[in-house]
Amino acid sequence: MAFRRILSTAMRRRSAVAAAAGNAREASTAVAAAPGVLTPDATPVRAPVMPYDRIAEAVNARLRRLEHPDPRFLRYASPVPSHADHTAILAAPETRVTTLPNGLRVATESSLAARTATVGVWIDAGSRYENEEAAGVAHFVEHMLFKGTGKRSAAQLEKEIEDMGGHLNAYTSREQTTYYAKVLEKDVSRAMEVLADILQNSNLDKARIERERDVILREMEEVEGQSEEVIFDHLHATAFQYTSLGRPILGSADNVRSITKEDLENYIATHYTAPRMVITAAGNVKHEDIVEQARKLFDKLSTDPTTTTMLVAKEPASFTGSEVRIIDDDMPLAQFAVAFNGASWVDPDSVALMVMQSMLGSWNKNAGGGKHMGSELVQRAAINDIAESVMAFNTNYKDTGLFGVYAVAKADCLDDLAFAIMQEMSKLSYRVTEEDVIRARNQLKSSIQLHLDGSTAVVEDIGRQLLTYGRRIPIPELFARIDAVDASTVKRVANRFIFDQDVAIAAMGPIQGLPDYNWFRRRTYMLRY
Amino acid sequence: MLSGMLPRLRVLRKLYGLEPAAAARRLSAADASASPSSARANSLLRPLPGLELPPSLPDNLGRSPTRVTTLPNGIRIATEDIPGPSGCIGFFVNSGSIYESGETTGVSHLLEKMAFKDTEHRRHRNLVHELELAGANVAAAAAREQMVYSYETLKGYMPEAIEILIDCVRNPLFLQEEVERQLVLAREEVQDLQKNPERFLHEQLNLVGFSGALANPLIAPEDALARINDKIIQKFYHENYTADRVVLAASGVDHDRLLNYAEFLLRDWHKGSPVEKPNSTYVGGDSRHRADSDMTHVALAFEVPGGWLQERDATIMTVIQTLMGGGGSFSSGGPGKGMHSRLYLRVLNKYHSVQSFSAFSNVYDNTGLFGIYLTTPSDFVAKAVDVAISELIAVATPGEVTEVELQRAKNSTISSVLMNLESRAVVAEDIGRQLLTYGCRKPIDYFLQCMEEITLDDITTFARKMLSSQPTMVSWGDVDKVPPYEFVCKRFR
Repeated sequence: MAFRRILSTAMRRRSAVAAAAGNAREASTAVAAAPGVLTPDATPVRAPVMPYDRIAEAVNARLRRLEHPDPRFLRYASPVPSHADHTAILAAPETRVTTLPNGLRVATESSLAARTATVGVWIDAGSRYENEEAAGVAHFVEHMLFKGTGKRSAAQLEKEIEDMGGHLNAYTSREQTTYYAKVLEKDVSRAMEVLADILQNSNLDKARIERERDVILREMEEVEGQSEEVIFDHLHATAFQYTSLGRPILGSADNVRSITKEDLENYIATHYTAPRMVITAAGNVKHEDIVEQARKLFDKLSTDPTTTTMLVAKEPASFTGSEVRIIDDDMPLAQFAVAFNGASWVDPDSVALMVMQSMLGSWNKNAGGGKHMGSELVQRAAINDIAESVMAFNTNYKDTGLFGVYAVAKADCLDDLAFAIMQEMSKLSYRVTEEDVIRARNQLKSSIQLHLDGSTAVVEDIGRQLLTYGRRIPIPELFARIDAVDASTVKRVANRFIFDQDVAIAAMGPIQGLPDYNWFRRRTYMLRY
Repeated sequence: MLSGMLPRLRVLRKLYGLEPAAAARRLSAADASASPSSARANSLLRPLPGLELPPSLPDNLGRSPTRVTTLPNGIRIATEDIPGPSGCIGFFVNSGSIYESGETTGVSHLLEKMAFKDTEHRRHRNLVHELELAGANVAAAAAREQMVYSYETLKGYMPEAIEILIDCVRNPLFLQEEVERQLVLAREEVQDLQKNPERFLHEQLNLVGFSGALANPLIAPEDALARINDKIIQKFYHENYTADRVVLAASGVDHDRLLNYAEFLLRDWHKGSPVEKPNSTYVGGDSRHRADSDMTHVALAFEVPGGWLQERDATIMTVIQTLMGGGGSFSSGGPGKGMHSRLYLRVLNKYHSVQSFSAFSNVYDNTGLFGIYLTTPSDFVAKAVDVAISELIAVATPGEVTEVELQRAKNSTISSVLMNLESRAVVAEDIGRQLLTYGCRKPIDYFLQCMEEITLDDITTFARKMLSSQPTMVSWGDVDKVPPYEFVCKRFR
């Protein structure tokens, strides 16, 4: 009996070795043949007497379980960063793009087996192209387009969409405006008709404008309640001060009260032009049908050839190293964002910045797992318990961008947290391991692909890319660009954007303990040789 | 700023070999000697030179039908293959708070928090690294009748995903230290419940509305948290996570491929003795929780007789819920969020002080709850409850609901079902939950067909049937202003 026990132990030892080999992705046949069920361990001959004997025994028993894992469960996954080949899944249905004579582009990705579809209009226009006096008009227009056209009243429009079980939505950002409808396959042409109608024939009724002011003011209150939005508005206001990119999307309350019908009409006439629009569709749609409909329906658009590149050249955004601090000791948590001047959409280094954002990572206290995560910033925040949440961000615009970290913390941890954030960011110029970069690349690739779940996400992707890149970057190309980023690239790009560069800071709450501006500025580089 | 330091630092940069030109990169194989000028050529505006793209996929790739395989020990493996780069796999376990009793009360809540922690083969640390490397999304959720563990990742990582997911669900260690850590977090969560009246009241609805297993708390009460330890969790886990009560469901994964990887990891999962589903009876009742707040929240509900297993009735109930609809007085989103549902038109547009007013349902296998949830300033609550009662009675009265409203509700329900099924995670969840409830996956067209056939008579008849049960009313806030329970009962007679 004793002899057999020794034999089985030896066998387990061997399987542990095989398991280690499996770990390194060299699974041999010995692995598959290893015994599946573990025999219970031998009972100790002598009962432990002292309490610590019992504790030791318990710990040992647990260690023994981990020492002899079942190799079946360790064949593929490995905690060691490695490059994964995704060639098999890189092919995707074609994104077809047609440019109509008036300059309007139509882009679709069909999956004819689907039973739903999303169609949308992406417009290369947003709050940064507004006039100073009428700031907020871009967002006001978005609201007013749902308030009735020559053909349909607001109520009829709502009813028409709701009756077919569709969804009509819109949003405005600093550089883009979007209107889209999500419907069943049979209603695609009606959705196109509705979109064309609201974009070209909206009434902009004066009485409705008056009513909508209150709605937008109410929306402002809501936004002011979301501290993350507020911090990023302040960050833009300070980083891009005296330029149009620094203004909040919703505009000022005074402007919302005073915007006139002429302002709205002007904005639409100037910015909602055919060459600056993209009609996108995904799901059960046929490219030819969408093109044909777009040709028929979107015939009233202005063909003004002014591009946003020209507008941006006239009024470029410029980054100013500066800060804004709003001290409010009544708030329970402090929050701040530190940002560097980032890359524009088309800058080849914007891909490396995406990888770097992924390297810095994001985490919040409730998610757990922080102390084990790959990002050293997250590890430091979680292990030392100095933050409630940290999040790296990377925002791109036509001619600039913002790259940095946003964090929420208790008032007494701010100096430690600021130190961790600045050190981890400036470290990207000095010490970067290949493992960290591989991990970040893998995460970035997965998150890009996992996000494309459903026709609305696909349409958003197509629309955004056509407006920013003028084309849809094929996934294999995007993956190749991401894979081209290695440790040396990260160091080079960090030298360009982080090393001894000015920062913009926005902070709010009980922030008396947050170090001053020069302290942050000093920590954008290290005096190391 | 600080520009005086720049010259010196530039020297430093040279020393370090960090000049941009020095950092040659391998953006493409054809372009080996990268320099700043070639970086400009690599602008995202233009295709990457020298990169060959795979041919595009055809437009008409469809989803494959659901395939189910039952292993000898009773584990069911079900898949629907979907074209696209990613997939989702999930474990669905026929376990939950209804199987708890006595000392195991609250264990399901802890099991949710203990998901994806140390296993017999991987420390939590390694697990986090493995998940990060694949950029995978994992999630676990405890419900009253089912537990869900899901794992979403790129198809290329499926072998790893299958192995990790199975290891996490099959071989959890429930280490004492980790359990203690999660107990602390759970305690914080329970205390935070007071700040989240909606979640609190949905829990209360079950505690008050049912007697028997469904009245077990899903959010572990404080005394349970004081009692639960690793041994209790271990015991509950072993009794309930048996092979015949487990389904492995996947979307975006080929059936044979999944079997190939999963079968030999699952075939020796222990098979338990058959377990009778614990009984629950709907009883109804009243519970009030006084809290210092400007707003008062009330949920008024009735039984959904038959639950999911009466699929026709459950479909009718779903349509009634869309028909009544409702929502918040201020919410983002345009047409399509139910702006022409009955509660929106007849309540939210009429009484501007009401903050939110909507129909809700919690449906279980054999029974369920349907009703109205409302939030109003405390001095309006008596009127709001009265309005809620009238609205419920209205849908049960012949002639009140119009054909147009019904058609709109049907269309909205059908399209929201189909739109949700665009998501891979939702497909996997639908497969898993249907297999646990019905023992098979009924095709979606079956449900849509059911929905198409619903008539106005069906609506009033089933609404009347629900309203004939004893009401369940729970409230939070200034509860003295909420009408007495007897008054509410009388209105429904």
